[in-house]
Amino acid sequence: MAAAVQNPPGRTDWADDDDSPDLATALPAPQITKNKDGTETVVTIFYNEEGKKVKRTQRIRRTVVKKKENPRVAERRQWAKIGPEAGKPPGPRPDTTTLGENIIFRPQAGFKAGGQQEANPQEDKKAEALKKMQIKCRICSGDHFTTKCPFKDTMAPEGDAAPVDMDAVAGDGGAGGGGGPGGSYVPPHLRKGGAGAGERMGGKYERDDLATLRVTNVSEMADEGELRDAFERFGRVTRVFLAKDRETGRAKGFAFVSYADRGDAARACEKMDGYGYHHLILRVEFAKKST
Amino acid sequence: MRPILLQGHERALTQVKFSKEGDLIFSVSKDHIICAWYSANGERFGAYKAHQGALWTVDVDPTTTLLASGGADNTIRLWEVKTGKLLKTWEYGTAIKRVEFSEDGRQLLGVTEKRAGQLSTIIVYDINQDPEGQQPNEHSLRIVVDDIPKVTVAGFSYLTKYIISGHEDGSVTQYDAKTGEELKHTYPHEEGSLVTDLQWSSDRTYFITASKDKTAKLIDATTLDVLKTYVTDTPLNSAAITPEPTNYVILGGGQAAMDVTTTSARQGKFEARFYHKIFEEEVGRVRGHFGPLNYVAVDPTGKCYCSGGEDGYVRVHHFDPPYFDFKFEVEREQERR
Repeated sequence: MAAAVQNPPGRTDWADDDDSPDLATALPAPQITKNKDGTETVVTIFYNEEGKKVKRTQRIRRTVVKKKENPRVAERRQWAKIGPEAGKPPGPRPDTTTLGENIIFRPQAGFKAGGQQEANPQEDKKAEALKKMQIKCRICSGDHFTTKCPFKDTMAPEGDAAPVDMDAVAGDGGAGGGGGPGGSYVPPHLRKGGAGAGERMGGKYERDDLATLRVTNVSEMADEGELRDAFERFGRVTRVFLAKDRETGRAKGFAFVSYADRGDAARACEKMDGYGYHHLILRVEFAKKST
Repeated sequence: MRPILLQGHERALTQVKFSKEGDLIFSVSKDHIICAWYSANGERFGAYKAHQGALWTVDVDPTTTLLASGGADNTIRLWEVKTGKLLKTWEYGTAIKRVEFSEDGRQLLGVTEKRAGQLSTIIVYDINQDPEGQQPNEHSLRIVVDDIPKVTVAGFSYLTKYIISGHEDGSVTQYDAKTGEELKHTYPHEEGSLVTDLQWSSDRTYFITASKDKTAKLIDATTLDVLKTYVTDTPLNSAAITPEPTNYVILGGGQAAMDVTTTSARQGKFEARFYHKIFEEEVGRVRGHFGPLNYVAVDPTGKCYCSGGEDGYVRVHHFDPPYFDFKFEVEREQERR
């Protein structure tokens, strides 16, 4: 429509012909229908940038926002710009006006300078987490830390209250992990299903004390390779540890040998105990469970 | 809130002023031009050019028809806000440090600097409020400040009853605005620390002074009693009082401009500090400038404030709801009763 208006009908310039003024006229006018819920549906058919005919359906709700403005302010808003801005269209110009980064300004009582403002959200979170976590004293079951208990000196700390508490928590499921909501903290090794399976220092190879032999009276000149060879013949050895003096590098006289299978370990224990190795007689026994 | 940054100046800002309705901001800087901005969107309305030197001060009359400016070219100039027409130029022997219209806009005062044998003076003109009319050539009052160190800032009190001036040595003087007679002279600030700014409450019955002694003081205009003291950790360049119903004062400062290059922006303390007007307690800061704040101004309607910095930017901040909602516990209790 607009194109048709711009081109007067009498114009015969060939250059204007390819502006396809008839395309615009061929399009139907936008259809506006009023809906029951107060919105309007506008159906427009137009050509997009690729020259394709497109139908667009829009639903519009009109709301009227009334705003009172001081008439003097309104008048000043209409003033023609002056100086270097003269003749420029209304609206802020990017060369003189830019938007800064968003600043969160929230007045607070007891404001402390020096980055405290930024740290506060984290502190709040911590405080909140602490609030959620139920603190229970192991002595008097009050809601304070055991160390802060007023009966700390007068009552036995690990008395009857503690075990009962722990059993209860362990009973209702270690799935809750680190003392889920509603339970006091349970150390990992006391949680259900994880007896002794807590994470331990020492890394990837899990030490299985059940299949570990303690070898004593080992010669000073022994080395791990030799020991491994000697014990390997009874089964797969997962680990050989030979205690060495840190300074001299010589063996201290005892070693640990772990087997993959306890049966192998038992056999090795039987055979190797009293076996002559270098100039000494080995003494082999099952290692005591480390505590 | 997202501040609007106005970059119309090439040098340090010296003063920013709101029109009475808060819709226009006028800013002056050391680059000789005055800019006018719409506070709502940061659009520049225009600039007023004619000054030949750094500008120190600007003020707009209550009807936003006339604009006065003064600077280092030893002139006070009067402009028509709407057209940018220069209406009048008054020349002096020294630089103009401060101009201010009275509450009704009928009088204009100017502060001249003491330099090169010239005395520090406060000059008052009776302004013709019609922009087409003739402006007086001669001042109606001239206060020569001789026995007190030079005047740095001055302003008209309520009903144009007094002229209050701040001095280089940290003192504040009250003059009769009709006769120019010295009525009171007090030392609210540490002796020898320059009073850098003097801004009025909305009814002009009390005012706030900022000083290089790192404090700002709320002072009664009639008695010159110090009502409140706001202690900061940096020399202050400016202080403003927010209008009712909010109870804040906004302080702006930072270390001296000459030391800026030697310290980081963090240490420079280039923040606008908000203190509670009554409890004298700091409630927050707004960062953004990377130079000292030379002036802070509050929209007389209380919706926004702007600060002009040594860094050449004017930052306009429109307040968010938390600003209006904040109250001390004591205040809340009072309301509940």
